[in-house]
This record gives sequence, structure tokens and C-alpha cells, in this order.
Amino acid sequence: MNKWFKSGSPWIWLSAGGVSLSLISVLGLLWLIASRGLSYFWPSELYQFDLTDEHGTKSVVIGEIYDREQIPVSQLAHLDLVLEPDQEILERLLIKTGNRELVSLDFRWLLSHNIQKTQTPKDLVVVERRTNGNFYGYIETVVVDGKEVALEKLPELLSRVDNFQEQINELQKSDIGAINYQLERLRLKTRKYQLQNKLTPELQAQIDSEIATLNQEYAELEQELLGYRKEVSRDHIVMRAMDGQLVTINFEYILKVTFNNQLTLIEKIALFFSQIASFLIEDPREANTEGGVFPAIFGTVLMVLLMTVIVSPFGVIAAIYLHEYAGKNAFTKLLRIAVINLAGVPSIVYGVFGLGFFVYMVGGSLDQLFYSENLPSPTFGTPGVLWSALTLAILTLPVVIVSTEEGLSRIPSAMRHGSLALGATKAETLWRIILPIASPAIMTGIILAIARAAGEVAPLMLVGVVKMAPNLPLDGNFPFLHLDRKFMHLGFHIYDVGFQSPNVEAARPLVYATALLLVSIIVALNMTAVSIRNKLRERYKMLEH
Amino acid sequence: MISISPKILTPGSDIAIEKKLDLTNLTPEQVALDINKLNLFYGKKQALNNITMSIPKGQVTAFIGPSGCGKSTLLRSINRMNDLVDDCHISGEINLHGNNIYDKHVNVAELRRKVGMVFQRPNPFPKTIYENVVYGLRIMGENNRRKLDEAAEKSLRSAALWNEVKDRLHESALGLSGGQQQRLVIARAIAIQPEVLLLDEPTSALDPISTLTIEELINDLKKQFTVVIVTHNMQQAARVSDQTAFMYMGDLIEYSDTNTLFTTPQKKKTEDYITGRYG
Repeated sequence: MNKWFKSGSPWIWLSAGGVSLSLISVLGLLWLIASRGLSYFWPSELYQFDLTDEHGTKSVVIGEIYDREQIPVSQLAHLDLVLEPDQEILERLLIKTGNRELVSLDFRWLLSHNIQKTQTPKDLVVVERRTNGNFYGYIETVVVDGKEVALEKLPELLSRVDNFQEQINELQKSDIGAINYQLERLRLKTRKYQLQNKLTPELQAQIDSEIATLNQEYAELEQELLGYRKEVSRDHIVMRAMDGQLVTINFEYILKVTFNNQLTLIEKIALFFSQIASFLIEDPREANTEGGVFPAIFGTVLMVLLMTVIVSPFGVIAAIYLHEYAGKNAFTKLLRIAVINLAGVPSIVYGVFGLGFFVYMVGGSLDQLFYSENLPSPTFGTPGVLWSALTLAILTLPVVIVSTEEGLSRIPSAMRHGSLALGATKAETLWRIILPIASPAIMTGIILAIARAAGEVAPLMLVGVVKMAPNLPLDGNFPFLHLDRKFMHLGFHIYDVGFQSPNVEAARPLVYATALLLVSIIVALNMTAVSIRNKLRERYKMLEH
Repeated sequence: MISISPKILTPGSDIAIEKKLDLTNLTPEQVALDINKLNLFYGKKQALNNITMSIPKGQVTAFIGPSGCGKSTLLRSINRMNDLVDDCHISGEINLHGNNIYDKHVNVAELRRKVGMVFQRPNPFPKTIYENVVYGLRIMGENNRRKLDEAAEKSLRSAALWNEVKDRLHESALGLSGGQQQRLVIARAIAIQPEVLLLDEPTSALDPISTLTIEELINDLKKQFTVVIVTHNMQQAARVSDQTAFMYMGDLIEYSDTNTLFTTPQKKKTEDYITGRYG
């Protein structure tokens, strides 16, 4: 035994064990998130349960099975169930029943003990809607312009409505949006002239005529929009719910009608991928619990890129000063320690700092100086994507500084001396020799910064993230990139959907799916940075001395 | 026991028939560098004691001596590389064209263009062979492709490297062998046409074949440049240099033409060192 200890193999086993444990936990985490997240998109079977409860009352429940649970009988003692004497465990099912306009909760627990019969009828259908969530039931009739038509007409009618909806969206987002934006600018212009006492009658007349033109355009577009709306709401379907009630659903509200129980495997796979695609490219609906997360993806990536653009030059410059120019004395050492310690400050503290300094002080002053026409409603004096990027840049600054400095100190002095001996000044040596060789280390710093920033949520809640942003920070209206706008973020989206939504059960799979997405985006951002670093490494690799 | 190859020292060999210079009494045209009462301190420790010597133009001058004798320090003083060392203080003068290089108004970068240096270990930059050679020229603001090409070819030819690398000028310099790298570094140094070339133990990290190539190269280089070489290898000093200075503990013990120094040393310490009785 003693010999075995001396041979060193226990340490090998110990370290190998440590590595495997870490690996297993990472893979387990990814597996959990991926399996739960992806199952959200898989079209599941629709069931019809015939129930008889303990009082003998019969009922029918239609829906998807969400979860299964084993519970001890003792917990159900109050229900007076008639059970086998030796039975201790009962199974119960969580069923998503939808139909929010009929029942207050769209989830429901069923004791499998009460289920008399379980079927998967082929003509059972799930209707995805713009409001009120899913509807589960049977299609009774399809009504086109007041006349009943055959069920086969349904796909054709749906695609017709889809086309109109797309046009409506287009109209609302780009054309009407642009007009509103211009009207707002004109209003601000007037206000600015008023504040500067430069509003002459001629100017006023000119602005008024512009406003009139815009208003006329707006009226025309509105007419067009109303036309489309009318077209869209022409038809409806009548559905029979699980309790036999008939419900009319206008096509206006229908997103998708699926006969889940008729789908072949290939159709299911196709649907699975199309659901993932729409999750990625669509806007959220119904307090973020339905629809896609595109604005959150966009916001996350934009904010991280902005942060990278801000933090890299500052971090590199600071590291160069500390390493190359600052005197090697106690003060520099103190400064270095302070920088390293900054990395340990809780992120929410940075959020508070960002709110106090960037938003109120800097943003407030900017508003006073440049956007006074808009006051009292703030432009930059309110949380926004720029302030978020700046706050996270400060948060990640120590990481970039430390790894850049490390990279600088790894460069052999022979490189510097070689360059200096050829008549280069210190600055030229830095630009032409030192920085290129240190670039992989700088990239490492940036990679770590991205990884840290993309996962940070707490400070963002104070400096720019919102539950629902009406506009993306990037659009077709000049100046295209609106740094003052608030934005959505995947991390905050997870928090919001998981903890703040009215329907936590419904949101749970969405939480996993969003978490998976956030992880994938961070991995993708990191992989890009890593591949850039590897290219740089290959290019500036040093001889091993 | 170190023995000196008799072949080199035979009267009638190349070195022996060269006209001897009177090192204590050179005409201004013959002088490349004039070192005058140079004292150098690292912190409180004195590394060079009152060195005075003249280094003649167009010749190879070797500094020899045991480790820590100050020969590299003296060499590095000539292009002010010691400026990079913290708490290094220098008094005295080194005159290049009659101007003291330690004068306040001297532009150090410009000085180093006139006094090139090659280090003990080859230190090519992680760039292409071509970019390594033209680095100094680019620093000087030369961007004309044709001129750079010409200069690169000329320097690589002078450094006896052209034939080996002409087909891969735009590949990384780090793919070259150690000896090739050292010649590349020499090519890089002579590309900016310095007046003086300082070589700090240029062959100590190389194999014998590469060493031989570099020594032959040094013989060619003195036609264009004044060469100062530090070496701890006495045979090498004897083979390549015209003048040799023996240093010991920061003092310049003896300085004369190579032949004289190795055959009839005037000082006891010199004799002890070259006959291997030192230490």
C-alpha cells in the first residue's frame, strides 16, 4: 500500500477523477438543457381521456401529456379513493389542456387511477393562436365568407391569411413605423426651434406642410391596412372543445392548425425543425410565453459585440501602459492589484454604478446638451443598450488587462532588443513586433470577456434590459443603430419567462429551450474568437526557447 | 588546456601579412569608434573600469575574456543597448565621427541604425524571411517595393543566405535552421547599411558547420563594415579578428593586433588566459 502511494499513481487517479467529474457535470448539464429544451419543439401526441372521478362523475379531458409523477397514496387521503389495499403509490399526469377562454388554468393534473379510457383520435387538432394560447379540440365546421366549406380547404385558407398577415406586418413595421418616426422627428425639430426662439412662421409653415404630407400618407396606409385586416378576418372555424362547447375562432387569430395524431415521423421531424426555426426568427407573444425569441437573440449578440468593441482597445491600452511604460514601483503594483480585484466585485455593483454614473450622470448630461428638445422624456438619460455595453465593458476590463499583460510579459526580450537594435523606437517596436505577437493573448482576454459578459444578467436589469422591447436597436430609420434604445436579452428572458410569467408550467420548457439557445450563442461567439486566436497563434508562433 | 591552432599563427598566413596598425596612434580617418574613459555601473556595482580604446575602421575587432569580464557590456554600450537596463549609469565618452553618442541630443534610434547589432541567440521576428530583412528599412519609412526587393536581395547575398532562401522569401523565418536564422539576423542588420556591426557571441548557439559559415561571413563583412565581435572562443577570435582586446574584471588588460596578442602577450594575465592557466 505504502509502495502504491509512493509510485504516484494515487495522484494520477485523483486528478483523472477530478477531470472526469468536471466533464460529467458539464456534459450532464448540457444534456439536461438540450433534452428538455428540444422536446419543447417536438409535436407530441394529442390524447383524449375519459375520466370517472371518485363521486362517479364522468368527464372528458383533451390535451398533451406534459409530465408524469409518482405520489404516495397518503397524500391523497382526503379524496376517498377506492384503492387496492396494498397500493401505496399512484401515478398522476400533468395535462396541457389549453382553451384558456373556457377554463382558467390551461394545465391540469389527472390521477391515472381515474382514467377509464385513453385514446388518440386522428381528427383531434391543436390550433396555435395569437391570443389565449393553444386550443385543443375537434373542428366542426370551416366557414368562408358566411358559407360552410369542406375541411380540405383549410390549408389553402390558412396560407391566404398568412400572406395577408405578412403584408400587415410589413406595413406596420416598416412603412407606418417610418412615418411615425419621421413625425416624431418633426415634433422634436419644432420643439428645438421653439427652445432656441428660432421658430419663424415660415419654418412653422414648412414643418406643418411636411406633417400634413406625412399624415396623408399615413391615412392612405391605414386604409390599406384596414383593407387587409378585413380580408384576414373574413373566415372562421368552429371548434368543439373537450366538454362539448362550440367555440368560434377567427382566422385572424390562427397561426397554425396541426393534426398531431395524423403526422408521420418525417412530418414530425419537419415540424420539429420548422418550430425551432420560428422560435429563432419570430417575435415573442403573450407576455413572452409563446412565440420566438428573435429580439432577445439580437439584443444579446449586439450588446456583446458593442461591449467587445469598447473593452478591447481600453483593456489593451491599459495593459500596455501598465507593462511597458509605467514605472516598476509600488504604485504600479498597487494599481495592478486593484485591477485584478475589480474582477471580484459582484456584478450587480457594476449595475448600480452603471445606473448612477452612465445613465443618470453621463446620459442626463448628454440629454441636457444635445437632446433638450425631447425633455422631460429622456433620450440617453435612461437605461439603454449603450449603457449596458459600457457597464459590461467595465465589468470585463480586468480580464482583458490581465491576459494582455500576461501575453506581453511572455514575449522574450530578444524580440524587443532585436527591433530596438535595428533603430526602431519603443512605439514602433510595440506596433510592429510586440502587439502582433501578443495578439493571441489579447484574443484570449477578449474570449474570456465575451464569455463573462454574455452570461451576465443582474447588472443589465439596471442599465438597459427590458421584458419586451417594441423596436430592435437596429432598424431602417436613420441613424440605423439606436444606441439609446432598450433591448431584450436571452438571460433576462429566461428569468422573466421562468419566474415572472403568469403561467410557470407553460413556460418551463421555454426556459430550457432559451437556456440552450443562450449556451449555444455563447459557445458560437467563443468559437469564433477561438478560431481567430488560433489563426493568430499560427501566424505569430514563437520559437520555443 | 586550450591550444591554439598553429596553422592560424604561422607567419605568412593571411593575418600575419596584413599591415599592422598602430592602435595607440590612429589617424582620424582610420578610427571608427573612439572609446574614452568609459565607466559603467549596474546600480552600485562597477562593470567597466575606465576603458579607453580606439576601434579601427573596416577591420574586425574581437573582445575576449572570461565570463563576466564586461566584454558584452562594453559591446552593448556602443549602441546604447544598456539604456534598456534599469539603474545602469555610464560616464565617459564613445565617439562616433567625433560626436559623443552619450550626448543628450543624440537620437538613440538613429544611432542604432548606424551601429547595428547581432545577438547571441538568433532572434528572427515571427514574420516572413523577406519582412525580417526589410524591417529596418520599413522602420525608416521605405515602402517602395522595388527598393525593398533590391535591398533584401543584396543583404541576403552579403549574408551568404540568398541561395538557400531565394525560393521561400515569403515563408516564415522561423522555419530556418539556427545557423540560417543567425545569418538572416545578420542580413537584417546590414540591410540598413550601418557603419559598425556589433556581434555578441554570434556563434555560441550554433553547431560547428554553421559557425564556420558565419566566420567566413565575418571575413567578407569587414570589406563593408567595421565589425566588433565578442567571443569567449579564443580560436574564433584568432581566426576572424584583426585586433583583439582582452578584458578581465571590467578592465581592458591588453589591446593589440591579434597576431601579437596571441603570440607575444605583454601582460601576465593575458598570457595566463590564452594559455589556459586562467582560473
